[in-house]
Amino acid sequence: MDTLNELLNGFAAALTWQNLIFAFLGCLLGTVIGVLPGIGPVAGVALLIPLTLNMDPTGSIIMLCAIFYGTAYGGTITSVLLNTPGEAASAITTIDGHAMTKMGKAGAALTIAAIGSFVGGTIATLGLVAAAKPLGELGLLVGPPEFFALMVVGISLLVALAGKSMVKALISGALGLLISMVGIDPVAGAPRFTFGMDRLLDGVSFVAVIVGVFGLSEILSYRKGESTVVHAPGFRSLLPTGKEWRRSAPSMARGTGIGFGLGLIPGMTGSVASLLSYGAEKKFSKYRNELGKGAVEGVAGPETANNAHANAALIPLFTLGIPASPTIAVLMGAFLQQGLTPGPTLFTEHSEIAWAIIASLFIGNLLLVLLNVPLVGLWTSILRVPAPILTALILLFMVIGAYTINFSVFDVFVMIGFGLLGLALRHLEIPLAPMVLTLVLGPLMERSLRESLEISQGDFSIFLNRPISAVLIALGLLIICSPLLKLRKPKALTDDPET
Amino acid sequence: MSRKKVTAAIAAAALLALTGCGANAGATSATGEDFPKKGKSIDLVVAFSSGGAVDTAARLVQPVLEKELGTNVEVINKPGAGGQIGYTQLTSAKPDGYTIGATGSPSVVVSPLDPARGAKYTRSSFQPLGRQVIDPAVIAVQPDSPFKTLKELLDAAKAKPKSMTASTTGLQTGEHFALAQIQETTGAEFAPVHFSEGASQATTAFLGKHVDILVANVSDVTDLTKQNKARVLGIMTAERSPSLPDVPTFKESGYNVEAGTARGYSAPAGLPDAVAKKLEAALQKAIEDPEVVKKMNDLGLQTSYLSGKDYETFWAGQEADFKKVLPKVQKKD
Repeated sequence: MDTLNELLNGFAAALTWQNLIFAFLGCLLGTVIGVLPGIGPVAGVALLIPLTLNMDPTGSIIMLCAIFYGTAYGGTITSVLLNTPGEAASAITTIDGHAMTKMGKAGAALTIAAIGSFVGGTIATLGLVAAAKPLGELGLLVGPPEFFALMVVGISLLVALAGKSMVKALISGALGLLISMVGIDPVAGAPRFTFGMDRLLDGVSFVAVIVGVFGLSEILSYRKGESTVVHAPGFRSLLPTGKEWRRSAPSMARGTGIGFGLGLIPGMTGSVASLLSYGAEKKFSKYRNELGKGAVEGVAGPETANNAHANAALIPLFTLGIPASPTIAVLMGAFLQQGLTPGPTLFTEHSEIAWAIIASLFIGNLLLVLLNVPLVGLWTSILRVPAPILTALILLFMVIGAYTINFSVFDVFVMIGFGLLGLALRHLEIPLAPMVLTLVLGPLMERSLRESLEISQGDFSIFLNRPISAVLIALGLLIICSPLLKLRKPKALTDDPET
Repeated sequence: MSRKKVTAAIAAAALLALTGCGANAGATSATGEDFPKKGKSIDLVVAFSSGGAVDTAARLVQPVLEKELGTNVEVINKPGAGGQIGYTQLTSAKPDGYTIGATGSPSVVVSPLDPARGAKYTRSSFQPLGRQVIDPAVIAVQPDSPFKTLKELLDAAKAKPKSMTASTTGLQTGEHFALAQIQETTGAEFAPVHFSEGASQATTAFLGKHVDILVANVSDVTDLTKQNKARVLGIMTAERSPSLPDVPTFKESGYNVEAGTARGYSAPAGLPDAVAKKLEAALQKAIEDPEVVKKMNDLGLQTSYLSGKDYETFWAGQEADFKKVLPKVQKKD
């Protein structure tokens, strides 16, 4: 009851009209920034931190959290409407989100995404209120070997993403791993596959790859006479149908679970959460055969997971003072600048501010829905632009998006190069999603493998001696073997280049 | 707008030619008299992930720098490979003052010394602008560890070499060097585990008890000690740290080990003098700003300002020291 009291006090502090205006402005600014391609939540929050410096701590942190939600949602808008992910975490949403747009259901996709984000974010924040301390400690159980084992489970979802041919899925996955190796070796510091180019020391930019492989290659693959983009939705289709609601609910539940769990683990990112959620939908959803062709699950799951992750990642920050993801690290910087040290001491030394921030997380999540559901109509009206012009605009957006990642033309060429690669893969009917999965998981997997082996001094049995990692690895193997055993093989996996 | 600028440049060139000063067209921007241009923001490259000590310091300095320079300063994190990715980005930027970076030793000093790392920069690729802090290294054990004193720990490690794992923030980082120096002077050998993503990953692994020993800087453990999540056994500096007054130095315990991290700010070499002067002055103001110093103190960081020139001398001295223990920290496979 003590907690409830403090939380209510937090609401009282957060619900001043100034703070509400800050939260509202933050959501709006964040959404606008998120709509601009290339600028994701990390850059968005970092860009807007100076705006908040002269405000009082509560107001400024509230505004930054709102900006953070806003950018995450803004990225989804372009993923769904224009097939151009505004940030890495919403990349996977392009597959089904944009397919829904093509079916004239853009409004439904955006509404489901907003509601999913709200559900995931709110449940994760409830977790923060109810059991932050034990949950934070739970995240610590995941050391390098467990992290690696978790990545094995993630990679094993590759089999779920395979279409007709497992070999082709593996080719795609191997390609992703190979691309993820480009850049400086994270342990020994030696350059790999950089061909002497400084620009490649950082590796290839994930967003540029995604925009190229998914967005550009699709535009390039339009054939003459084929209907290109989209139908503008009628007013009816702005809202999801009852059936879509019912189908989304289990996906949102799974997404919340995955996002929340991963958020507790320092070092995970929102894109891992959304990807694994998509993989889980492919493997476990009742409608998994429809995924890739505009199934609402492909939007509801990842978007919920992404926001649940974002909010759950605050738990390690509040309980341990550890920034669990890049965006949280930027928020932590804002805390420090306000003279607040995140961690358990925050609750003893600045308890009022801490609870006001938590209350504002609820308010921010709610505002986001209130702001964006009415705006869905406005966003989707972009689609009323005639198809040829819209296609040209999308191309323009892609180039700008690639350029603004690092403000370098190099990334534009990366994007175009991967567009051509994506086109070739589509022609060869090699699925694209496995490549994206390994591209995201590859570096995390490599790092945790090498750290684990340093801990065990080269002994591979460390992965089997530790119960959590052993169970996870067994789970991974089970998932990999499931198609062989024909345990859960979906009846008819149709030919589908996008999955 | 640009036509105006061209006209102005031509006019300036003509004037210079007339006064016999030479025909250096666009002279103002080449010498940096007009630095920084309004609306053009300055990138402050941090070679470590956000949330770590280097990043925090940079983010504290940033607002004061903005005020002093009258333009935006953006902190950009380029983590990985023990700082090498960020340093490469910093030194390959144009030396026009619009890219500066946080430079921390030993990472910045050491990475070019080992040819295996293929670093594209050397000490002379940097133009030091000012040192902000020195942050001594510490060694800590789990709160429930049987080791109560430094001597007990080191004796145990001597008796069974590599029986305990110790975190570093990457190959050849400050923590790794500290371990090498401990081994050199005391004979105690730990098995290093390199967390190349930085101090927050290393701390997470220590808190989860996945590594036995936390080797870190004073600033990383100040809050952990308050929460009773780590028992710091020794600090590798000449005098006790004001943030950890109860922790004995290695010297007090009878070991002659001094190690730690020094952090400052540098630009790519070749800045025009006027630009360097402006940046140095702004940095000094920001580093010595009482509010910044106080916040640094809260984080367990002792401000210890050195000018660009003195920082350069200090840097060269460290380079000489590190060359001595380098064979101990090189990858042997």
